Amino acid sequence: MTINRRSFLKYSGASLAATLAPQLAFAMAGKPHVVVVGAGFGGATCAKYLRMWDPNIQVTLIEPNAQFYSCPMSNWVIGGMRTMDDIVKSYANLPGYGIKMVQDTAVGVDANKRVVTTGKGQKISYDRLVLAPGIEFMTDQIEGFAEGEAAGKVLHAWKAGPQTLALRKQLEAMPDGGVFVIASPPPPGRCVSGPYERASLVAQYFKRNKPKSKIIMLDGHFDVVSKGPMFKAAWKKLYPGMIDHRPYNLVTKVDHKSMIVTSEFEDVKADVINIVPKQRAGAICASAGVRTDTAGVWCPVNGVTYEAPNVPFVHILGDSVASNMPKSAHVSNNQAKICAAALVEMFNGREPNPYPVIGSTSYSATSDETSGPIAVVMRYDPDKEAYIRQPGGGAADLSDELNFAYNLSWFENIWADTFG
Amino acid sequence: MTLKSVLSGVACAALCLSAVSPGVVVAAEEKPCLIAGWQNPASICAAHTKTIAATCFICHGPNGKSIGAVPSLAGQDKAYLAEAMRDFKSGKRESTVMKKYALGYSDSEYDDLAAYFAAIK
Repeated sequence: MTINRRSFLKYSGASLAATLAPQLAFAMAGKPHVVVVGAGFGGATCAKYLRMWDPNIQVTLIEPNAQFYSCPMSNWVIGGMRTMDDIVKSYANLPGYGIKMVQDTAVGVDANKRVVTTGKGQKISYDRLVLAPGIEFMTDQIEGFAEGEAAGKVLHAWKAGPQTLALRKQLEAMPDGGVFVIASPPPPGRCVSGPYERASLVAQYFKRNKPKSKIIMLDGHFDVVSKGPMFKAAWKKLYPGMIDHRPYNLVTKVDHKSMIVTSEFEDVKADVINIVPKQRAGAICASAGVRTDTAGVWCPVNGVTYEAPNVPFVHILGDSVASNMPKSAHVSNNQAKICAAALVEMFNGREPNPYPVIGSTSYSATSDETSGPIAVVMRYDPDKEAYIRQPGGGAADLSDELNFAYNLSWFENIWADTFG
Repeated sequence: MTLKSVLSGVACAALCLSAVSPGVVVAAEEKPCLIAGWQNPASICAAHTKTIAATCFICHGPNGKSIGAVPSLAGQDKAYLAEAMRDFKSGKRESTVMKKYALGYSDSEYDDLAAYFAAIK
């Protein structure tokens, strides 16, 4: 017997309804309650769109920080093109959508009782839990990192906030002729193109203010893996001889007293040290039992609902997800909408859309007047149970002024869409 | 997809459609629609269009109302929007990222998105 797609759809809708039966019974008895952990591009978007698309759903958003510092544009602060005021975003609009904001840290999940525990000891029960905590750093993989970070001499600046400003200040204090070492981890991690943008914008600052200075990139990747031709062309044209990119150069050790960064191949003396360590899904994902990919660092999800395959009623969004998608703000925002739409359909007794589509666009600046994009569309294939990259996606070969204008526009619109 | 899973679907169909899913019954009586050439109940297509339109919001602004250099989509002419996607795809109209997007969506999705954004006041 062969089964065509039409019959599969007919039956999958019915069997899905069966799996949802207890949930629907609750939903009909009262208003369903979704707890979202993390108010970044994934979590805030999910909370907002749940409320916009179905005001019957109660949404609680747990976030420790009083305001949001945007990773997108944070390299512009490090390069001196913008200030911290430009990347701080308020959460003040979110309660207007009917979102209950809880300023606290989610520290534990009891997936059987469906309760989240917070750092201040609150216990918040949920019908569905959405985890969008972002990344945590595996600093133990680099000897001396923790000590260097505690001393303020080794920064990641890979979560926007105090380290963004601290790195900027160190670059300002560095004498002309100094060496800035930036190290990036092998994939997968947050924002693959970010280190190359950072090198570009620091190079611009050096060229104008400290022209004898150098940037050494110790890259855990085999090449400039994102927007490679674009970055290489910009470096050659705008910052000749300034950026020394060393691929396959994974950092293993750092000594903040001697300011020496050690890779698998060499020791490099630095004046300012910026090391982006390897990352994994936020700790709350481990507590919920969903950080279960083969390496135990990211969270597998059902591509239709973003629910964990092994823990019912727990969904994961954004950088924490184990997938072939880029770990970017754009993808987090888009996943959040797919998850929110699926939850709305399920709470209302309907089958969620089995064919979600993710678009990913990311811009990188190469100077204060040039940027370039990468864009790809990924469609979920229910037979393969995977997102498939559609043909034609990819990066621009050159950065230019038109894309710089679009880059600025992208910031404004994604901030408005997520927090506005 | 195994025979077993299809049968379990059949087994629960009668049970759960009558018990808890009036929405599914209503949807099944509506005219089926297409997503990328695959037939679906109308509720799925509505959710699909709403979600892919929300993807556009990221660059073109919340509800298609841009606050930057990227153009707004809200309230634009339906035929113009669908034609623009076809022209981006063919290369007749030059673009920075839109050709990459146009190649990832189908003709029927162009039309559904165009109708969605044209209807926004």
